[in-house]
Amino acid sequence: MKFKKSIFGFIDMIRFSKITDVRAKHLAQGSNKPLPKTYRTNELAKELHPGYMKVELIDIKKLTPTMKEFTFKRVDHNKFPFFKAGQYVSLQAKIGESLVSRPYSIASSPHEAFKNILKLGIQKEGYFSTYMCEKAKIGDTFIMSEPTGEFKFESLRDHHHIVCVAGGSGITPFISMGNALIDKDEDYEMTLIYGVKNISLIAYKDTLEKFKKYGINVVLVLSDEEKEGYEHGFINAKLLEKYVDIHNVTFFMCGPEIMYQFVKKELAPYDLPIKAIHQDASCCPDLDIKNPKIYKLTVKMQDQVYVIDAKENETLLVSMERAGINAPNKCRAGGCGWCNSICIKGEYLVAQNRDKRRAADIKFNHIHPCITYPKSDMEIEVPLAY
Amino acid sequence: MKKTMDKSYDCIVIGAGNGGLAAAVRVLQGNHSCLVLEKHNLPGGFATSFKRGRFEFEASLHELNDFGSKENPGDIRTLFRSLGVEDKIDWIQITEAYHMITKDGKYDVVMPFGVEEYKAKMIQYVPKSKKSINQFFELAKEVVDAQTYSNSVNGNTDKKYMIKNYPNFIKAGSYSVNEVLKAIKMPQEAIDILNAYWCYLGVDCDRMSFLHYASMVYRYITKQAWMPTMKSHEISLAFETRIRELGGDIWYNSEVKKILTDEKRKIIGVELSNGTTIKTNHIIANCSPHVVYGQLLDKKAVLESDIRATNSRTFAGRGVCMYLGLNKSADELGIKSHNYFIYDTADTVKQYNLMKNIKTNNVQATVCLNRADPNCSPKGTTMMYFTTMIMSDDWGNVKEKDYFKEKDKFAAQMIDTFEKVTGCNIKDSIEEIAFATPTTYARYCGHPEGGIYGYETADWDALMPRMMMMKQDYTFPGLRFCGGFAMRSSGYSSAYVSGDISGRQTVGDINREGK
Repeated sequence: MKFKKSIFGFIDMIRFSKITDVRAKHLAQGSNKPLPKTYRTNELAKELHPGYMKVELIDIKKLTPTMKEFTFKRVDHNKFPFFKAGQYVSLQAKIGESLVSRPYSIASSPHEAFKNILKLGIQKEGYFSTYMCEKAKIGDTFIMSEPTGEFKFESLRDHHHIVCVAGGSGITPFISMGNALIDKDEDYEMTLIYGVKNISLIAYKDTLEKFKKYGINVVLVLSDEEKEGYEHGFINAKLLEKYVDIHNVTFFMCGPEIMYQFVKKELAPYDLPIKAIHQDASCCPDLDIKNPKIYKLTVKMQDQVYVIDAKENETLLVSMERAGINAPNKCRAGGCGWCNSICIKGEYLVAQNRDKRRAADIKFNHIHPCITYPKSDMEIEVPLAY
Repeated sequence: MKKTMDKSYDCIVIGAGNGGLAAAVRVLQGNHSCLVLEKHNLPGGFATSFKRGRFEFEASLHELNDFGSKENPGDIRTLFRSLGVEDKIDWIQITEAYHMITKDGKYDVVMPFGVEEYKAKMIQYVPKSKKSINQFFELAKEVVDAQTYSNSVNGNTDKKYMIKNYPNFIKAGSYSVNEVLKAIKMPQEAIDILNAYWCYLGVDCDRMSFLHYASMVYRYITKQAWMPTMKSHEISLAFETRIRELGGDIWYNSEVKKILTDEKRKIIGVELSNGTTIKTNHIIANCSPHVVYGQLLDKKAVLESDIRATNSRTFAGRGVCMYLGLNKSADELGIKSHNYFIYDTADTVKQYNLMKNIKTNNVQATVCLNRADPNCSPKGTTMMYFTTMIMSDDWGNVKEKDYFKEKDKFAAQMIDTFEKVTGCNIKDSIEEIAFATPTTYARYCGHPEGGIYGYETADWDALMPRMMMMKQDYTFPGLRFCGGFAMRSSGYSSAYVSGDISGRQTVGDINREGK
């Protein structure tokens, strides 16, 4: 074929010969005003996702004999990022030689973030939480991750009626979810079923009273105590049936592993789709091994190399924290991927039912140190947290 | 116990996106040391995947263009072969080109791969298009042949040779898609069907260069499209592995805040956000000139001509993508195609303008990955992703307190559009949902306004003049660009090629210095 657009083909050729001149002219004619330092969308990204934040503890309140509420403000900015109720932050502190982090559900409402307030409810159990409850004092500063996590309401996925099942300190994300509803940041019908051992262990009593006034159905369940106005026993199917239409609600569960197992067993006969039950993640525990072996763990981090001990019953992340290495981590449950690292050498074990690595991660031997235990001496490459 | 290794590098690549990864491999293959610095904790930039529940979502790749089979490789497979990553990745072939539906009810067409099959289908839809569709493919072939020749001589083409062998390439070379298709008297309906791929380049067909479009379409139709079985994350990790094999380093969570220069505008290193400095005299920037000249370099080191050139350019589309994991199979849901282009209208100019406003943006390039790879999600489930672009800074108007609600609104609008035009009910089967906005892209990749397509390849800033001006555009000694904002413009294949080019050029720069 012979293509031409102009009457004479050579005009088309001349036009083509000039395309670089035309571009050069346009480039030269651009404005000489300074290039923007930032853009609105990029600023919003920074507000929502600042990465690690510097925070100060400004208040401590007793919630129950074993649980305290900690209020933080940011000292590197005048507000916290807006978030979805149900999400968590990871809090980091230097305890002795260790650099330790733990994820905690946010108890304050998303709206309070704009007032530079973020609250965590912490139960005195385990290493870090005990440190917080016994040692942390007002004025202490910490590093905190930005709010994150998938335990949150999705209007296009979930039923309008949500049933929040809390066990013990698992109440915290639902305090945020209830307040988000009152603040009109969320739109759902909420039933809160809160199980504790006895009446003295009920946290957030005033807030729960407020919830009732705003139409949130609050059901308190005492396992070890019988009292009028309270349900007694465990959160079983019969109890759930009494308050909600099980087939037309979405469940959100937060509490101890044993509660998840129990409630899921109770719900099994209803044959609910997977999407009907959301459960918050729980930290990956140590393995139960008597006289655990100690391996040599070589950690390459940027241009640093650390050689440390790693116990076979502890995750690689815990070993790195003990050694004071600033390794990234958020969920500590295998799912968020923030600790993603490369295994260069050595054998390892991934905690049962927690391997949420991508297919290609497994193929190319990437690991999540928060759920990985050493089975030999190992060499890994880990990104610096910050 | 702690050891410190002091290092400086022959070359530092800023950004581990597709372009940056390819560039790093080239520098290392040239026997020079190379460090890739990436602000996120993973390689790939947009080329990644993420997990939600029992689904692993592809973050961005719809289909890889110009890849071809092992026996009949396209340019990208050939490039991957030469970079040493081809065999690290398992590939699947996509068998259907596209399914275009317009909301105005005018079109619901399914187009196949293969030139003869494509032509036959076009003639079936538009019987009067026989002559012009044949001419289009003839022209397109000449375009691709001319490009192959140009690449073989590294862009230093012989004018006489070009005129003799590729006259139609030159004559069509300064015109837009629509100008050329009208000149060959293609019926409007055939133009509409042929132009369906336009959103992959993000510029309406009155302003998009014919050479660019014809080359892309020809490569798709002749080489078909391919995907890695483990999502684009597999490509990114294959590159990461390759870089380490060649002795290169990659640091994640390492955002470059400054490019350091001396008083003679010579690059001497980079500074990270935590204050760490690393020495180098050569940088390949897998990010935009807007960021490099506007934020990373000291004002005094930047030429006024570079400020003017950068200011003169137009940001291409800002990305939006919805990901759905559905708890029914594609058969149960009635989803037939792998790759849908859903438009309000086939008039690309009108459509482009509607895409400037969030409320009137109903365009979606929608992938049902199970139709290409039945094993991409668990049995009895379906994985879909829906992509559009905003052709203005409209998303910049969203306030923080409204962010999640605006996302939900946009997502509902996308689901509604898909259900209306296909008649499928997907809403009731959503098990997982994720929604990426320009804010998401700005967060992970740092591109201005959350753009995903670099600078618009429209009018004067089209692909061809960019490629022909690589020498003139090299204005800062030791600083080269790759990725979506560079000479090859956006898209996976283009980004890899730009990394290849800038990587090889940097090897040349370093070698020349050595002499």
